[in-house]
Amino acid sequence: MSTLVDSEPTTAVPTRQPRVSASKRRQYGAAYVLVLPFFVIFVAMIIVPLVYSGYLSLFKKRLIGGTSFAGFENYIRALQDPLFLTGVGRMAIFLVIQVPIMIALSLFFALALDSGMMRLAKFSRLAIFIPYAVPGVVATLMWGYLYGPDFGPFAQVTKALGFGPPPFFTPIGMLFSIMNIVSWAFIGYNMILIYAALRSIPTELYEAARVDGASEARIAWSIKIPAIRPALLLTVIFSVIGTFQLFTEPKLMFSLAPNVIGTAWSPNLYAYNISFVNQDANYAAALAFLLGIVIMIVSYVVQLTNQRRERRS
Amino acid sequence: MSATPFTRRKFLISTAAAASSAWFLAACSSNEGSAPAAAAPSASTVPQSEIDKALDTETTLTFWTWVPDITNEVKLFTTKYPKMKVNVVNVGQGAPHYQKLRTAIQSGQGAPDVAQVEFQFINSFTLGDGSLLDLTPYAPAALKDNYPDWVWSQVNTNGGLWGIPQDTGPMGLLYREDLLSAAGIEAPKTYDDFAAAAATYHSKNPKSYLVNVAPNQPGQIIAYLWQAGVRPFSFDGKQTVNVDLASDQAKTVVKFWGDLVTSGGASNDADFNDSWYQGLNNGKWATLPIAAWGPVFLAGAAAKTSGKWRAADLPQWDASKAVSSNWGGSTDAVLKLSKNQIAASQLALFINTDKQSALNFATKQYLFPAMKQILTDPAFVDQKSEFYGGQKVNEKFAQISATVSPDFAWLPFMDYVYTNFNETLGKAFADKTDAVAGLQAWQDASAKYAKDQGFTVA
Amino acid sequence: MSAITTDARPAEAETVGRRPARKPTSWLLTVFVLICVGYFLLPLFWLVVASTKSNADLFSSFGLWFANFNLFENIKTVLTFQDGVYVRWALNSVFYAVVTSVGAAFLATAAGYAFAKYKFPGGTALFAIILGAIMVPLAALTVPTYLLFARAQLTDTYWAVILPSLVTPFGVFLMRVYAADAVDTSLLEAGRVDGVGELRIFFTIGLRLMLPGSITVLLFALVASWNNYFLPLIMLNSPEKFPLPVGLAQWQSTATGGSGSQALFSTVITGSLLSIIPLVIAFLFLSRYWQSGLAAGGVKA
Repeated sequence: MSTLVDSEPTTAVPTRQPRVSASKRRQYGAAYVLVLPFFVIFVAMIIVPLVYSGYLSLFKKRLIGGTSFAGFENYIRALQDPLFLTGVGRMAIFLVIQVPIMIALSLFFALALDSGMMRLAKFSRLAIFIPYAVPGVVATLMWGYLYGPDFGPFAQVTKALGFGPPPFFTPIGMLFSIMNIVSWAFIGYNMILIYAALRSIPTELYEAARVDGASEARIAWSIKIPAIRPALLLTVIFSVIGTFQLFTEPKLMFSLAPNVIGTAWSPNLYAYNISFVNQDANYAAALAFLLGIVIMIVSYVVQLTNQRRERRS
Repeated sequence: MSATPFTRRKFLISTAAAASSAWFLAACSSNEGSAPAAAAPSASTVPQSEIDKALDTETTLTFWTWVPDITNEVKLFTTKYPKMKVNVVNVGQGAPHYQKLRTAIQSGQGAPDVAQVEFQFINSFTLGDGSLLDLTPYAPAALKDNYPDWVWSQVNTNGGLWGIPQDTGPMGLLYREDLLSAAGIEAPKTYDDFAAAAATYHSKNPKSYLVNVAPNQPGQIIAYLWQAGVRPFSFDGKQTVNVDLASDQAKTVVKFWGDLVTSGGASNDADFNDSWYQGLNNGKWATLPIAAWGPVFLAGAAAKTSGKWRAADLPQWDASKAVSSNWGGSTDAVLKLSKNQIAASQLALFINTDKQSALNFATKQYLFPAMKQILTDPAFVDQKSEFYGGQKVNEKFAQISATVSPDFAWLPFMDYVYTNFNETLGKAFADKTDAVAGLQAWQDASAKYAKDQGFTVA
Repeated sequence: MSAITTDARPAEAETVGRRPARKPTSWLLTVFVLICVGYFLLPLFWLVVASTKSNADLFSSFGLWFANFNLFENIKTVLTFQDGVYVRWALNSVFYAVVTSVGAAFLATAAGYAFAKYKFPGGTALFAIILGAIMVPLAALTVPTYLLFARAQLTDTYWAVILPSLVTPFGVFLMRVYAADAVDTSLLEAGRVDGVGELRIFFTIGLRLMLPGSITVLLFALVASWNNYFLPLIMLNSPEKFPLPVGLAQWQSTATGGSGSQALFSTVITGSLLSIIPLVIAFLFLSRYWQSGLAAGGVKA
């Protein structure tokens, strides 16, 4: 019988064959029971559909002729599909531009709120966070109005100044228009994540610096930011994943600029349209798989880069 | 606590079993694909006695439709046949409705008995074994006489009657009387007049246009082609299609509109969005070529411009003969999957052919009628509209309805053709590039899609 | 784990350590942030203003200022249109959100606790699989999930929307980190010494200590569920089961070309405004749990 005095239950080291103690088995049992409900639903809702998706992607369906086995044909088709590739490329550009800006702004606001040098901090915190609570459907309604080329406020201002309407809906402009909507919605969310991390930094860490007369900005830069590195990494990775999955905003922008958005503005939108408009769940499955692989590669690269930078500093 | 400890093996096994079994047990038990119910013989008519019996049996029907307030008409049916119960479900308007319908048919589960199907999508449901029930045996023999020829040809194709016409959308021209007369222009009667008027009007009103050419409205462009005598699509009901969007006549039509856009005589705004409604309210356009369902919609969307609009014929290519076309319009069709085929067919027939019901559609929901009886009924025709300065708009469109040229067929994959429009011809309008090139691209993409999907392209 | 462990109790994360003396207010910073706040609130301001207008005024008056006040009429229309289906949608949203968030939080808490407090065989592998799932694009899953549900005859049911939303790999990650920090193993050991069963220990000791973290996961799941559009759009056919985003989108799409179009603009806009309010209230109410729950998860990644 193992003793229960140590805080760390150590497996007894018997001289003969090692046997898991009864209490250990009981603990393992409890662990399995606690994890089981989550895991069952996890397998049912994620693993099984994933496997089914993979299965589907190996078949091909035609309006005349029905379903037939196609091997990797769908994947080859996807890798040569200009609509898919431009969609991915677009997301890459989106990623490189929007994510750093968004995280930087979230960081800035979080630091500002944490610095204690602000009035109305609580109100600001809530106001910046509220857009996250707005469903995409509603957000696009609002921005659709604001971007309006004839009657939107910005257009009216530029027209009063003698220019044409701001280029919100040109192919390049649309990229920024949607970047704006996504940033608007998620700066607050990321800000809260970062703010929470900042709040848990023990003040002793920078009390000394403050006593020495360092400015708040300097403290923020040299002490706070490095201290919350893991949280920053987390927000970046989630943003990467979220960016490649962009769907709601382009779908709802479609009615405002249908020729710019088209069917494949984002890979996720493309997969959806292929699945539901073209009735081609098989090709859509292949697209989704490839998209998943892209996401994994990019996330991995981001993590690697971070590790390398950490090792250097 | 538990006597036997929960080993890892037990955990893995129980997880796999629980998660997978639920799926596969259910999967095995459900029907694979669509197994159509025993089809009634197509040639012989179903005897009235069987129809009466079906209507006298307790039945619940599911009816997918997006027509607002259709419960008014359905109630007439259930009042007359008290043993019938009908669940009216709105699963979405247009594209989402068809997507759900197709997915339900494909999975064999959750499909309704009766569904609203617009004219242009009927062929897509008759592919392969066909998902729609041929209603010929269930319908009265003289049904055809109720409709103008062109309407009948929309539903009676490829050897079957696939839906009961509910409403139509003959094309006309709504115009702002005040704006045109201020510019000294009359409502144009030919396309030549129209082009000239566009230039004149815009030069006098730099912020306004005679007309809009929407880059996202294939239905409207196809209506223009239809009016000009173009027949770009055909389907033999089995495996052969014809796609001829780039014929010379089609190019003439498309060039006309493309030139208007590039010369600045017409704007190229996407329609049916907030920007467009604002434009309508603020006089951005002096005319609106639109279908017969347009007048009521306009009255709701541009209330502030009440009294200033009028209705007229579309401009004509041939001044000697007034010809029009159709944009939109639905039928109610019965699915083969339905377990209550007779009752379902009677529901579709009743709400669309019973005089009171059809009149309700026209006067209460403002659906433009398909039946001759309603098109000539004074209750419908004599309605005067304040929004249109007291004009009898219904009478005008009823007149137009008689001039719609017949025999326009559709491809069995119009969803694809419509979405592709936005990326080819629509895009040309949006970018103000060569519209004829855009038309060719649209043609090529549609023909390619047909081939990829296994059709024989004539 | 990480080096920075303090005895900062989660409930007091607002003030870690001693609070320094009051710092001087930087007006520059305050003003700048408040201007930015204006940017965040501008669209919402438009929404509020637009909700007070009738259909006719919507398109013929300046968007950012009021016209004839029509708010109560609009609210009445929203609540009574199509036999009051909006109220049904709102109740659905509440139902989905509550069931999903409570369920997801509980599942994630139990699993996170187990991963953190027990080093059981296969634990690391399982956790890695769960983490990997965070990267799977939902799009890859939604359509196959729909097809599977269709085969199981479960589409167009409440379960079709709830079940897939109960899985929150991020929640498990968060709770594992939180449990490692907030639940002192010695307390568990004390329970074991007293002969209390493992599960009972979880429910009486562990759960209570993890509560702020659980509420954080609950809040994330609540927002995700309330705003969920894609999943219910695909799974549901009957409007009586729609949540608010899907219902509003359906109203909005009735204004398209084709017969049966309706101009429902002011109804959609006012309906949108009303749909945001409950979530805003929920935030205000539970905002203090955000920090405490996330504090542990953020730093100790």
